[in-house]
Amino acid sequence: MIWTQTIVLLLLGALLLGLTLELIRKRRLREEYAVLWVCTGLMILVFAIMPGAILSAAEWLHLDRGVLMTFLCFVFLAAIVLHYSVVLSRQAGREKALSQELALMKDEIDRLRGEIREAPPPAPEAKPKPPALRT
Amino acid sequence: MRYDHEDIPESAQLDLRGRRALVVVPAYNEEDAVAGVIRDLRRHAPWADVLIVNDGSADETSMRARRAGVTVIDLPVNLGIGGAVQTGFQYAYAHGYDMAFQFDGDGQHRARRLADLAAPLLAGEADLVVGSRFLRPRGMTARGLRLVGIKMLCSAISAVVGQRVTDPTSGFRGAGRRAIELFAQEYPQDYPEPESLVLMWRQGLRVREVPATIRRRRRGVSSIGAMTGIHYMSRVLLAVLMDAVKAPVRLEGEVA
Repeated sequence: MIWTQTIVLLLLGALLLGLTLELIRKRRLREEYAVLWVCTGLMILVFAIMPGAILSAAEWLHLDRGVLMTFLCFVFLAAIVLHYSVVLSRQAGREKALSQELALMKDEIDRLRGEIREAPPPAPEAKPKPPALRT
Repeated sequence: MRYDHEDIPESAQLDLRGRRALVVVPAYNEEDAVAGVIRDLRRHAPWADVLIVNDGSADETSMRARRAGVTVIDLPVNLGIGGAVQTGFQYAYAHGYDMAFQFDGDGQHRARRLADLAAPLLAGEADLVVGSRFLRPRGMTARGLRLVGIKMLCSAISAVVGQRVTDPTSGFRGAGRRAIELFAQEYPQDYPEPESLVLMWRQGLRVREVPATIRRRRRGVSSIGAMTGIHYMSRVLLAVLMDAVKAPVRLEGEVA
């Protein structure tokens, strides 16, 4: 029983780590988030190798092992979702600021273009000579 | 700036005492209304420059506005009313305007009445002036559930800011220099009209309401219409309460 659990957890942890590394390799996952998943994978491996840890923690808290595991999973998922909500809010703010900046700059470019078109061509002698280099 | 000077009635003139005014018109798919709105502004508020903020329209809003001879800012994506209006404030701030007015692109506001908003700003009596439909009810007002919702919202915002507010959802308003600076940097996204009142209070700026009437909208639907009564109100209330506890914004120019 305990051996099947260890093997399943080991496979799961290894799979998660492998997948994370593969995603990094393909540049589909930023390191910022990769750290989170590498840590998660390592945690699973720790639980796989030391199944006693979770048992003694459950005993210490006077909780059933299953209840403790469910609780930990819930906290973990809630923390990740909250983190993503924060990231999404930040992204929305940045996206808005970028759109506004872009739109305002487009207008500025149009205005400058108009000014250049209307300005008289510069006299050829007005072209400043590059200053002589002194060494 | 191509328009008939003879066409402007004498009464439309307003002495700005050397200050510059901008009317920001957020427009999302308003190709049928936008030219009329510009004509109204040119005729009845010739003392203000006009800026159309095209909020990622899929129709000919931008082209028709440009053809009418005003400056158009084209947002690359649809940001919603809050983001569009804020872009207008950013433009006003960058170009050194002393007053910036918000004016709907669907033709429900009257350009003639902009002078009422400008007066307290020119006198230095307020940083933000809001045209209220309910201070002296005339013309179009709200009915039924919508009215109940607005009343409750009024009570809540009045309680938060400690000042009587009668029309928190009014999008007919004018901002002075300090409000322009604030809004250029920080402007609410979800329910900008009521939320900005709380933001103003949070920053210690002065809000003043003046009576205003609006027209029955000729085209398009209210951004509020689909979410009537209780749902809209509870969302706004939540947003307003969240605004009330947010830390004040430190403006870029200020010393820490």
